Amino acid sequence: MNPITLSMFTTALLSGTLITLSSTNWLMAWMGLEINTMAIIPIIARKHHPRATEAATKYFLIQAPAAATILFCAITNAWMTGQWEINQMSTDLPIILILISLAFKMGMAPVHSWLPDVLQGLDLMTGLVLSTWQKLAPFYLILQLHSTHSLTLILLGTMSILVGGWGGLNQTQTRKILAYSSITHMGWMLVILQFSPELTLMTFTLYVTMTLPVFMILHQNNTLSINKLPILATHTPTISALIPLLLLSLGGLPPLTGFIPKWLIIQKMSHLGLFGLATITALSGLFSLYFYLRLSYISSITMSPSSNLTTATWRLTPNSIPLGLKTTIVPSMMLLPLTPMINSLLL
Amino acid sequence: MMKILTPTLMLIPLTWLSSFSHLWRPTLSYSFIISTLSLTWIKNMSETGWTSLGLYMATDTLSTPLIILTCWLLPLMILASQDHMKTESQTRQRLYITLLIFLQLFLISAFSSTELIMFYIMFEATLIPTLMIITRWGNQLERLSAGTYLLFYTLISSLPLLVALLMIQTNTGSLSLTSAQFYFSLIPQHNFLWLACFLAFLVKMPLYGLHLWLPKAHVEAPIAGSMILAAVLLKLGGYGMTRISTIVDPISKNMTYPFITLALWGVIMTGLVCLQQMDLKSLIAYSSVGHMGLVVGGVLTQTSWGYSGALILMIAHGLTSSALFCLANINYERTHSRIMYLTRGLQIIFPLMAIWWLSFTLANLALPPLPNMMGELTIIVCMFNWSWWTIIFTGLGTLITAAYSLHMFTTTQRGALPPHITSLTPMNIKEHLLIILHLLPLLLLILKPEIITCWSS
Repeated sequence: MNPITLSMFTTALLSGTLITLSSTNWLMAWMGLEINTMAIIPIIARKHHPRATEAATKYFLIQAPAAATILFCAITNAWMTGQWEINQMSTDLPIILILISLAFKMGMAPVHSWLPDVLQGLDLMTGLVLSTWQKLAPFYLILQLHSTHSLTLILLGTMSILVGGWGGLNQTQTRKILAYSSITHMGWMLVILQFSPELTLMTFTLYVTMTLPVFMILHQNNTLSINKLPILATHTPTISALIPLLLLSLGGLPPLTGFIPKWLIIQKMSHLGLFGLATITALSGLFSLYFYLRLSYISSITMSPSSNLTTATWRLTPNSIPLGLKTTIVPSMMLLPLTPMINSLLL
Repeated sequence: MMKILTPTLMLIPLTWLSSFSHLWRPTLSYSFIISTLSLTWIKNMSETGWTSLGLYMATDTLSTPLIILTCWLLPLMILASQDHMKTESQTRQRLYITLLIFLQLFLISAFSSTELIMFYIMFEATLIPTLMIITRWGNQLERLSAGTYLLFYTLISSLPLLVALLMIQTNTGSLSLTSAQFYFSLIPQHNFLWLACFLAFLVKMPLYGLHLWLPKAHVEAPIAGSMILAAVLLKLGGYGMTRISTIVDPISKNMTYPFITLALWGVIMTGLVCLQQMDLKSLIAYSSVGHMGLVVGGVLTQTSWGYSGALILMIAHGLTSSALFCLANINYERTHSRIMYLTRGLQIIFPLMAIWWLSFTLANLALPPLPNMMGELTIIVCMFNWSWWTIIFTGLGTLITAAYSLHMFTTTQRGALPPHITSLTPMNIKEHLLIILHLLPLLLLILKPEIITCWSS
């Protein structure tokens, strides 16, 4: 893609989200969402590959009706109450419909099944944008809506945690696994959203921190299926030794970074007396830990001199580790001692 | 605390910066120095029971013996794994030692933390190095499922503990152990709270019925993994139970019945499993489950005799089972088999090793004067005081323990050599040293047992 075109689309992508984030009016918010969608579709389709075109088509087909529903609900709301303010919604039907279509846009369970398929057609860096930046605008809108429908939010959230873990169990493609991992993390964010939006923001930031190096590693080595994971050990041995820690951090095992959001979310729930919900969310997070664990077994636990699971490729010279990866991989594992600081910064 | 933690942390640069030919010796000697330094904690002059009190860490008569045991185990693990690691590349050998050092760091922090939430984090933190050691350096393919079992048994049982701890924190505003007596009346006494608090530790002990992960992990783990698992990691469970039982006290009176019964039933059942066991490491692992059953019983009666008996048995069993795993590994490195019927009659080839086998078999079946016997007897007396009927289980359990320990000894050591064993490399000095360093503390402890009896001076 021509760099000028790419930069134009990227700018549109950023400004679309920013328009949504800064609007108090449903029409502007909807417009931001649409600009954002229109900007990412050419970026998705920029590799001339049938799968990329397919992904772009699927993405468009999902986002368009969702956005149309949002517009429809906003108009209905305006018709019924006479104003367009986002946080002044008072009628049930538009709110629930908007919640569901926003969940649809983000790929939360039970309307999540497009996300792994679309992500499978992308290259990993676009996938990173899709599973992080693209969630910001819908999250902001849900945050504005939250107050009335706590049960819907909790159901969407817990179901996403469960389905994200469950769906990832029988995947063999790394991009699909990352998509399911994204669904799980979105679930954690949605569950806590109505109780403490700051925690959602923190979980989101930490999710980006943890998932960024994973995407970068897989992108650098072009590791698209889990069969190719063991080859990392010959190309970048250090990274291959760190991958289990990265993945377990995504799974939320103490003492790694991934435990911070879980800890604080469970703490918040306990403070509010929601012990059952806290236990259920904590335990359903274990499903996704299972496939992270399996990925780490394949990537670096089973290797020479133990019997190998895959045939090795030509042993080329080891890849150098890019500076960006070096800087992101450390906070993605070792932030737990800084929890009090993160806590006081955000809360 | 920093006096021990800082040198332990500095062992990591030592491991990575020393030249490869001098990798094992300096790490070994430095970790020995650290374990010698840790002995200073035995002297507890404070009247409150807590000593070396800092902001987040302190030791008392309960945690001191366990921390010292942890420090003592690191050099022994390094000593024991040297041969196992010979075929590995440089980096992996260094990585292996680093994992062991991390394990010691986490364990010391767990035993000495005065905040329950920090104890929880460190309790969980020990999982990752243990998992790596088992799944990366184990021998068979089943090590992967053993690792998964270890991780998921622990996590499923300990996430409710996290919720329970945060619930206590919500109600009382504190999770500090040192001031527990001031806030514990504020804790809502609820059956689920009790269960959530104890389940994590009962799985870690493990209680019979929740124990399936342990024999798997032991059988698949490399020698250092088995040693640390049997000697210290299981004791995290006993330690945690002792700590938490003072906090959720009143409800325990009714809740403990099924668990004590299960623990005592487990002593007999695991003993019977041991009697028909063919796999040497699995036998030692099941015998650990049985001994830990006694510890569970002792702690759950919540008497001072129960606590002190549990601590004595934990320390004694830590040294004994670790030594038995070492002996099994010495056998395994020569015969490459854990099956007892293929490696019998070894006394003829290794006469000196038979002495070590005999000593630790006798320690395992709790021969007087060893501390094992002292611990078991204290627990049995305390259980008898709790209910007369327990004498049936504890008595029968002791009998069966003696039976399978002697069975293990006679099968591996006595009788004729099987025809396929003709010549094996003799035991070397390093291995003798390893066993002696297990036996000496065991023998010396009986001369001054009050340092492991959990009584404040």
